[in-house]
Amino acid sequence: MIPDIDDHIRHSTRHIGRSVPRREDRGPLTGRGRYVADIKLPGMLEVCIVRSTEAHARITEIDTSQAEALDGVVAVYTGADLADVSTFPDYIAYIGAVRQRPLATDRVRYVGAPYAAVVAVDRYVAEDGAALVAAGTIYEPLPTVADLAQALAPGAPKLFDDWDSNVSVDVAPHKPEVDRAFEEADHTFTDTYWSQRQTGLPMETRGVVAEVTDGTLTVWSSTQSPHMVRTAIALMLGVPEPQVRVIHPVVGGGFGTKTHTYPEDIVVPWIARRLGCAARWIEDRAENLVASAHAREQRHDVEVAYDDDGAIGAIRCTSTLDMGSGEIFMPGTAPVFVTNACITGGYDFPNMQARTVGVVTNKTPAGAYRGFGIPEGAFVMERIIDRVARLTGTDRVALRRRMLLRPGQTPHVMHGGGRLDSGSHTESFERALETTAPALERARTRHADDSDVRVGVGYCNYVEPTSPSYHLTTGQWGGHDSATVRVDPDGSVRVAAGLSAMGQGNETTAAQLAADALGVSPEQVTVVLGDTERAPYGLGSWGSRGAMMLTGSVLMASERLLDKARRIAAHLLEASPGDIVVSDGAFHVAGSPQPSVSWADVGTTAWVRTVDLPDDIEAGLETSAFYHPEHLTHQLDEDGKINAAASWSNGTHIAVVSVRVSTGEVRIEDFIVVHDCGTVINPALVEGQVHGGVVQGIAGAMYEHFQYDSDTAQPRFSSFMDYLVPTCAEAPPIDVDHIESPAPDQPLGVKGCGEGGTVGPPAAVAGAVSDALSEWGVDLTECPVTPVAVRAAIRAAEAAGRGPGATR
Amino acid sequence: MKPAPFEYCRPSSVSEAVDALAAAESGRVLAGGQSLIPAMNFRLTDVSVLVDIRDVAGLDRVTVEPGGVTVGAAATQSRVLADDGAAAVVPGLRVALRHVGHLQIRNRGTVCGSIAHADPAAELPALAVAVDATISVEGPDGGRNIAARDFLLGPFWTALDDAEVVTEVCFPAAPEGAVTVVDEISRRAGDFAVTGLVAIIEPVDAVVRSARLVGFGVGGAPMRLTEAEAALSGWAGHHTDSAVLEAAAADAADAFEDIHATAEYRREVLGALVVRAARKALNSGASP
Ligand SMILES: Cc1cc2nc3c(=O)[nH]c(=O)nc-3n(C[C@H](O)[C@H](O)[C@H](O)COP(=O)(O)OP(=O)(O)OC[C@H]3O[C@@H](n4cnc5c(N)ncnc54)[C@H](O)[C@@H]3O)c2cc1C
Repeated sequence: MIPDIDDHIRHSTRHIGRSVPRREDRGPLTGRGRYVADIKLPGMLEVCIVRSTEAHARITEIDTSQAEALDGVVAVYTGADLADVSTFPDYIAYIGAVRQRPLATDRVRYVGAPYAAVVAVDRYVAEDGAALVAAGTIYEPLPTVADLAQALAPGAPKLFDDWDSNVSVDVAPHKPEVDRAFEEADHTFTDTYWSQRQTGLPMETRGVVAEVTDGTLTVWSSTQSPHMVRTAIALMLGVPEPQVRVIHPVVGGGFGTKTHTYPEDIVVPWIARRLGCAARWIEDRAENLVASAHAREQRHDVEVAYDDDGAIGAIRCTSTLDMGSGEIFMPGTAPVFVTNACITGGYDFPNMQARTVGVVTNKTPAGAYRGFGIPEGAFVMERIIDRVARLTGTDRVALRRRMLLRPGQTPHVMHGGGRLDSGSHTESFERALETTAPALERARTRHADDSDVRVGVGYCNYVEPTSPSYHLTTGQWGGHDSATVRVDPDGSVRVAAGLSAMGQGNETTAAQLAADALGVSPEQVTVVLGDTERAPYGLGSWGSRGAMMLTGSVLMASERLLDKARRIAAHLLEASPGDIVVSDGAFHVAGSPQPSVSWADVGTTAWVRTVDLPDDIEAGLETSAFYHPEHLTHQLDEDGKINAAASWSNGTHIAVVSVRVSTGEVRIEDFIVVHDCGTVINPALVEGQVHGGVVQGIAGAMYEHFQYDSDTAQPRFSSFMDYLVPTCAEAPPIDVDHIESPAPDQPLGVKGCGEGGTVGPPAAVAGAVSDALSEWGVDLTECPVTPVAVRAAIRAAEAAGRGPGATR
Repeated sequence: MKPAPFEYCRPSSVSEAVDALAAAESGRVLAGGQSLIPAMNFRLTDVSVLVDIRDVAGLDRVTVEPGGVTVGAAATQSRVLADDGAAAVVPGLRVALRHVGHLQIRNRGTVCGSIAHADPAAELPALAVAVDATISVEGPDGGRNIAARDFLLGPFWTALDDAEVVTEVCFPAAPEGAVTVVDEISRRAGDFAVTGLVAIIEPVDAVVRSARLVGFGVGGAPMRLTEAEAALSGWAGHHTDSAVLEAAAADAADAFEDIHATAEYRREVLGALVVRAARKALNSGASP
């Protein structure tokens, strides 16, 4: 909380809360956005990474001579050449150490693992060279584990010889109260739910350009966290950190995949230093599918204790994450902890015990993806509720109503320790139901004449942790972010923040905040993000933290700056600082608008005509602030609980679907969203986040699925022909409504909204399709809900004697 | 995703193209490039010389006659899709092309290239088989005409010899009163079909008199569904569907399995498409 500025802004708000137009679009929309791939440096060489074609193997020989002899190839490096580079640190003690090398030395554990780099005059030659290195590589194949069952089987081949098994982490609390609840319940059921492997898939793939000039290593990386990349480069290459500068230019989406520091972030700068010339690597689309983090592949073994009336007494859940090879920095384990923390959502039921397991397999390492474990948890909870409703003959909506937190019941601490500071859990559900009723009626009418079509509705109420701890994810960083605010001699404002931006509109948001804090217009504010030389150390954009962290840091820095500016203005006006107010870009004594001095007068005095400054005020008009939100904790308490998020947004997603029985085709007729992210800074930006998030959620619900061959752990995908990304043609009508429950303990009440959109679709679509096929007793336990999956469910039901019989 | 080195030539006549192919170690015709270029970028196809036929005079011609439509090898899919005359004589061309890719793809992709490419899930090869199209090719030993069913041998496999060029494909006119349906299950708009059907159905007095059915995305090449054709003959829509479904499943007994669908799904959904097509044909017959 920053009480003074909060108060000041509440009384002067002009831009916060309005759909101020985005300032960051002109470049990208006119083809002039400068992405990493647009950076052209004199003499720049092209790097192609050579990747493993084996899922698990020892590399016994890499013959690089043919590639080196190729015209246009400048150098070929293998893991052995990078002996002077340290491994990626294993900061988290309780997960298995993987000692990841930037280039694999003797062992590869997934198809796509980088083990050599070809440097050439252009990408074509570099790829010709890479093909020759691949041809010169001799593997000694090792047995593979392609999925959780194989990895956990007794005697399974191990990925890491010094581990006891393929289990990287296993946290299994035991709660005697949960045992009692199971003993006392009328009924129990057990089932397994699945969430499939996906990726964030930004439109712009990753890329790194590096050069050394005048002793400074400058690295352009398409990353979400430039400062963290800088720290990793300095650490691993042994370069003093002030001599490393990391810039992220325009970034075409990240969706979590770019929060990691990848091998190429280290290898390309290493090459630039080694060869003394600029080098660049641009990930290609096919490479992206195996070389950037995957996510979401989890299994959930649940046991549910419930009573005749549908009351859920307790849930036991073991959530197991398929981590792929685990060779990724920061590690990819955190999402499954978030899943367990979020299963409960805004539902209140007596008890829950959750075990968290992470297991390595011979697949691309799992990491971050927008949603970060929340959709998986919401899916489990909503499928459980639908099941209990069906088993007990309880109405699905009524059962949800009974369990949802009601007004006045916050703050509420969930079973994992998450502290729901506020929210509209019941209100958002009720409001979404109101919109759903006519939508459902429309869908039924539309298909009334077609006996092959069934209509159904599915629900998801979720919570969304925002501005989370990075300590739990990285074992190193915490949860702050930073801003520097400066007013120049001409009165213009410059905001530089440690946050980055990948399209969300953070520049616009920062300008709105600074404008209202300093009483100027957003046009007077220049915003600088994503450059370690120009902004103080920050953690970057992820975890739905942009809005809250910008609010906190920009307002804190602005307040400090305003305080100094008031003192200067008071001196110029010969008044007392306590009487000075600022509005419309001018300082004056409260109650008498004239005489006044402008920001330019104050800025000029501070920087230029310092002779006019009083003795007790230093020159300059620039302040920095490091904001750490209230209530955000980084350590488990004695009961093993933690509130690892500064605040919690919430919302409701409802899908109305039609299902064609004969073919299994599913169509989302309407998708209804009621969303509550606390105080809204810019409604248009929030709406954009929700729309994009929902379509990504639908990707998980119906389309995207990385499949691997179970015998060889080879990917069964290589392009968008087999990894199906929904386009605008697949996007249904999305109805968005906002509720604002301000975060009671955060500046302006801002929470965050980056991920909520992705959370509901899997649960809502699976629920809706199951509802549509209730005559067959279909109860889907996994996504994607494809035509094939729908037909298989109908066929299985009919084979078991369920369903309306001859239906076609 | 950059191709290995290759040479490129742009002949101005078919015979020059044939000569270039004959002289090359592994020559390939480049038409719209929408299938060939991705395969080269993935280094899945080894090409030493690319023979671009788009400058060959007259190859982009589309000739519409009462007896049929002849499409030259350089004529793009968009061009044919927009041709009302072609759609009137061979309605299948338009309904099939609507399912092919997206606008951008069709603006470059050619009708003949699609048939020469012989993707088992493509619409146009199936249409060619359904209407008994004739493929005209030129090679070092002169020209020959090949019936579509003899041309399409398997997945990405045709009767074309290495140095032969497809010059045009002739699609005969649909029978009077017939209804052409091209329907498919695809995962997203514009995707190749998971399973698809070309049906040419002649309804008479709300009864199917005869049906020509060709499935795609089921086997290695477009597949005549002879059992389903028999089951459909005399079908009047109010019968139970099971005989038709079973017949289609029998036709597709050897359906393949891939990342998008099981063989079982393909078999049952093919039948559903046949029923859907027959209903549509009967309905449109009932109310002209
Ligand atoms: C995103 C995307 C979606 C698509 N979706 C569909 C779809 O839904 N349905 C569908 O059917 N297709 C689809 N396609 C493929 C598209 O229709 C292709 O254009 C077509 O299959 C090939 O035609 P082309 O002119 O591009 O041939 P090219 O790519 O130039 O050539 C393809 C092959 O045919 C050979 N060839 C071409 N012309 C001749 C000729 N005259 N003589 C001898 N050999 C020849 C080439 O040598 C090459 O081997 C899609 C393509 C893309 C990129």
